[in-house]
Amino acid sequence: MAFLEINNINKAFSKDTYAVQDFNLKVETGELVSFLGPSGCGKTTTLRMVAGFETPTSGQIVINGKEVTNVPPNQRNVGMVFQAYALFPNMTVAGNIGFGMKIAKKPPEEIATRVEEMLKLIHMEGFGDRYPYQLSGGQQQRVALARALALSPTILLLDEPLSALDAKIRVMLRGEIRSIQQQLGITTIYVTHDQEEALSISDRVVVMYQGRMEQVGAPFEIYNFPTTEFVAQFVGTLNSYEAEVVDPAGQILRLAGQNVQTAHGLENKRSGDRVLIAIRPERISFPNEEKKENLLECTVETITFLGSIVRIRVLVNDLLVNMDTFNNPYLALPKIGDKSQITFSREAVLVLDHGPKA
Amino acid sequence: MIERPTIAAKAVIDSIQDERAKPQKPRGKGNIWAWIIFLIGMIYFFLPLISVFEFSLRAKRGVYSFEAYRVAFQDTEFYRNFGMSLLWSLLTIAVSLLLIVPTAYWVHLRMRRWRPIVEFFTLMPFVVPAVVLVFGMSRLYARIPFMVNYPVLLIAGYVVLSFPYIYRAVDAGLRAIDVSTLTEAAQSLGAGWGTILFQVIFPNLRVAILSGVFLTFAIVMGEFTFASLLSFDAFGPYMEEIGAMRAYTPQALSVVSFLITWLCIGLINRVARGAPGQGQIAGTR
Repeated sequence: MAFLEINNINKAFSKDTYAVQDFNLKVETGELVSFLGPSGCGKTTTLRMVAGFETPTSGQIVINGKEVTNVPPNQRNVGMVFQAYALFPNMTVAGNIGFGMKIAKKPPEEIATRVEEMLKLIHMEGFGDRYPYQLSGGQQQRVALARALALSPTILLLDEPLSALDAKIRVMLRGEIRSIQQQLGITTIYVTHDQEEALSISDRVVVMYQGRMEQVGAPFEIYNFPTTEFVAQFVGTLNSYEAEVVDPAGQILRLAGQNVQTAHGLENKRSGDRVLIAIRPERISFPNEEKKENLLECTVETITFLGSIVRIRVLVNDLLVNMDTFNNPYLALPKIGDKSQITFSREAVLVLDHGPKA
Repeated sequence: MIERPTIAAKAVIDSIQDERAKPQKPRGKGNIWAWIIFLIGMIYFFLPLISVFEFSLRAKRGVYSFEAYRVAFQDTEFYRNFGMSLLWSLLTIAVSLLLIVPTAYWVHLRMRRWRPIVEFFTLMPFVVPAVVLVFGMSRLYARIPFMVNYPVLLIAGYVVLSFPYIYRAVDAGLRAIDVSTLTEAAQSLGAGWGTILFQVIFPNLRVAILSGVFLTFAIVMGEFTFASLLSFDAFGPYMEEIGAMRAYTPQALSVVSFLITWLCIGLINRVARGAPGQGQIAGTR
């Protein structure tokens, strides 16, 4: 049995408005699972149902073999970290971290020891006497994490914990969160709308859209093998087009008047069928001696410098195609308006399920 | 007498709201018009006060003296009535806090749509005159001996009078903190409603609650209508009575009453300055 089971959860805010629909997930002990999706996709609502702040309209939540669907939040022993830190302004850092233990009526010596342990864990020894307003945003969020962990909760829930921080602190802190999570082996649910964050720290990612789970899988799988158009569009950048099946057995499609081969199955398709295909920009390149598969004629439209990568937009007949190439000082870039060719492997052409458009 | 603390109290509420709104500083020392308006305001406010104070010093013919104050403070009735008003103030504050703070908290947390309705009710003392309120309450509850024989109606009336001051102050305090998230954070750490209210919410509303408390104190200390019509001893009716008999002592008592109000306002400012973390609830350094 999984450590956390979310079975057939639905949450309706009115008769026709569902925030979460048919949500099913099993999370193993020590696993970090991210809920990824745009605003309003139901990820926070699902997290709040696990925390006990929202009651599901139907379905069941089981933590460590115990059904907690209707258990109040203060009896679930679930640690929660909020986007807005939610530190108690009237208490010191030590007071905040020890708050849960004080409620649990632990002896003062035990509380003091645990607070010191937690401060060490978050590398903030000596900050116990400070008030939240005397800390930076990153420090406040670390304290919030320590506070959530002090009671040794069964599950750690993080609701967009890094959204209010600047980019550099986010990257540093997400690494720290992952490291602490692995060190303690605590089962964790992490809500974010930042794909890079989700992909970098998660064991598995649940991509959500309009209250439903779009795809569940390891970050590598989610990025490289999206199964719906939404996942493909939301996670990373994507070229997606409708193509016509020419030869299902030979896995040949027609795109912008040119033939394209895919390595993915077209078994259930017939000649003339329309399918949705997707190609990641980094899988497209200019041809060389080794790369000659799926060769398409094109015209260079724009070239955008993005730091570590250069994005080149080309026109294949009337079709706009984005391609990314790693930046290096000796890169020979084409000029705008140049006639050229692009190439991509058969494996790069993903055939998607018809899902909602992003 | 009834109006004075009310005006002062309103000024304090405005000053609290202004403080939160962080108005822009005047553009420079050269703004002569700002000083002229300020001066006119000060004259408008202080001239009557100075006149009252000056008049209170004329008890002895031909010389300024504190004779009127001596007479006022020698009267044992002064202490008895002052003590009674003090008691009514404390009872009013206790009942108001128990009634209004949890209500305001709950409105913020779970019943946001009800906020305009609650705000409307809290404005009742500004709309319905005290004399109408007291007659209405008397007619409604006169048959219940408990309400009439004990100062229940009096305290209830004072609580109604304190509505706008305590509710507005607490409401402003609640708007400054993220009530829902703090509540949920405390819940996730195992806290029940009592703990959340008394250990998390109340301490973070300290300044707001104290503002409301001091304003209520100032209002009840000078209130006349309720105490007089319900026949309870209090400082307001005592001043009225003295005013009918003596010329200078009521002016001295008016000055004393003002000093009490100012003391309260001073305490609010002092407490507001010393509260840790107030006004910096979720921000960063």
